[in-house]
Amino acid sequence: MVAQTDEAPAPANSEPPAVVECERLTKVYRKRLAARSRSVCALREVSLSVRRGQIVGLIGPNGAGKSTLLNLIAGLIVPTEGTITVCGHPARSVKARDGLGYMPEHPAFLGGYSARATLRYHGALLGLPGDALAAEVDKSIQQLQMQDFVDRPCADFSQGMKQRLALGIAMMHDPQILLLDEPSNGLDPVGIIQLRDLLTQLGEAGTAIIISSHRLGELERLTSDYLFMHHGRIVPWTGRTTPGQEGCLRVGLLSGGNEIARTLLPASRVVEASETELLLAVSDPAEVADLVAELARGGARITRVIPQTADIEEVFMRLCQEGT
Amino acid sequence: MRIWELMKETLWRREYLWIVHVIWLACYGGFWWLLVPDPEEFGNFLFLWGGVLLPLALSAGIMGDDIASGRICVLVTKPFWSGKLYLYRLLGLSLQGAVHFALAGVLVLVLHVITGKSTMAGVGRWLLSAWLLFNTFAALSTSLSVVVKRAHNSLLLFVATLTLAVVAGMLLHSLQGHVLEPLVTGFFRYPFPPLELLHHLGKGDYTKETLTVGGWQVATSVACVAHSVLLTAVYAGMGILLLTRREFLSQRE
Repeated sequence: MVAQTDEAPAPANSEPPAVVECERLTKVYRKRLAARSRSVCALREVSLSVRRGQIVGLIGPNGAGKSTLLNLIAGLIVPTEGTITVCGHPARSVKARDGLGYMPEHPAFLGGYSARATLRYHGALLGLPGDALAAEVDKSIQQLQMQDFVDRPCADFSQGMKQRLALGIAMMHDPQILLLDEPSNGLDPVGIIQLRDLLTQLGEAGTAIIISSHRLGELERLTSDYLFMHHGRIVPWTGRTTPGQEGCLRVGLLSGGNEIARTLLPASRVVEASETELLLAVSDPAEVADLVAELARGGARITRVIPQTADIEEVFMRLCQEGT
Repeated sequence: MRIWELMKETLWRREYLWIVHVIWLACYGGFWWLLVPDPEEFGNFLFLWGGVLLPLALSAGIMGDDIASGRICVLVTKPFWSGKLYLYRLLGLSLQGAVHFALAGVLVLVLHVITGKSTMAGVGRWLLSAWLLFNTFAALSTSLSVVVKRAHNSLLLFVATLTLAVVAGMLLHSLQGHVLEPLVTGFFRYPFPPLELLHHLGKGDYTKETLTVGGWQVATSVACVAHSVLLTAVYAGMGILLLTRREFLSQRE
């Protein structure tokens, strides 16, 4: 769990230090020259804490406040209320930006610059000296497999090439926190797999990563830390299990499924039953071994056991419906 | 490295900017070659063509392009004071202007030597005043670009300059001999781009004049240069203030 709507959890001593801390963030966009009723509250009293090495998936329907939250952490906009610290410094300060890498949803580059020139340009803006700059540029090209198009002008780039280059720019100088807005947009399947591996490596190396994405399946493979946002709030899931922890167990049998369900199992456990298959409710993965052993002792001839966890899409839909 | 990349970017951010320089230089050469102007005629042409129109052409969308494309969102997350983004780009424009006017000087010198036409007297003064005017317009245009999307800053500044010139001309003409004339003249002369003062500087009107400032005798030409540099700094300061306080949305605008 990474976030609470009202109070951030107190860090335990063994936990890595927080890289991003937001307290009661509220952001109201006011339309200029418009009546007060035209104000839009994009974020309401959001508190969260992201620690070193943590990969956080930011998900929610359109207009939920995901981009606003990313923009606030990146220092692109100023909160109406609340405070943000990035790497221990107030967001928008030069020191906070020193540890920050940001990749926007729609990366844009100078059309006449090549990928190499663009990387060199951004490296220079980061203050890297000559030798370190050249090494950093080469590292980015290797890491993101940009060799094929590194000397072509950015004006000719496909969306996938732009995404790779933008990611390379965000990752230069090994930031402590990476903010990624839809990073897999336009990437081919190989690119998506490479991106996932790369982000996993970065997370293991201690980089905190916040990813806003609508590709729930991709996020699910990368992390189990999610922030569900809806109507400018983080939707709380206190008392519930996180995606992947609740669900069912599908048990295949040679025969006698209905009889076993009636005699061996309580009715609350059985979701569906047929002669060759049982669908059993499981609230904790630790129950699975005991349940299978009990069925085997009762004479069930088991052919297969398949855990069916609630995936992120189901939880997302449920939370959205509850939020509405 | 950072300052050089940001200065260099002002020339390479659009692919046609070097062509603008070439066209402008060709116009100076053509004007000198074909019309055989006296130094003041050439100075007037250089002053308006290079001092007013060149900075507008070079600074079109200098910030607005980045704001419209969303590129600014990555630039302002870099670990340096955002004001430097403005400052170094303005320095880049100023450097382009300096090289441009130096090349213009070399060009007319070569033409003068080859053809033996006209005279070079006073051309250096005109080049200096054109460059000073270039800087004030570049600063004003860059500041406008912080709040105006895409390349509309240049068009807006061009229209505003024309309008202001017409309004000032009409107003001062109608106030000739009136008690308010010095006040209105001062209003138009000092806070706006110093077209009139730098034009006098280029013509050499201030060569032998001096001003008394706080008991000190100051050459009028020096005061005129100082005023133009101060105005450039004020226009740039306003732009930096706007840029560092502005919020940027990550969506393309």
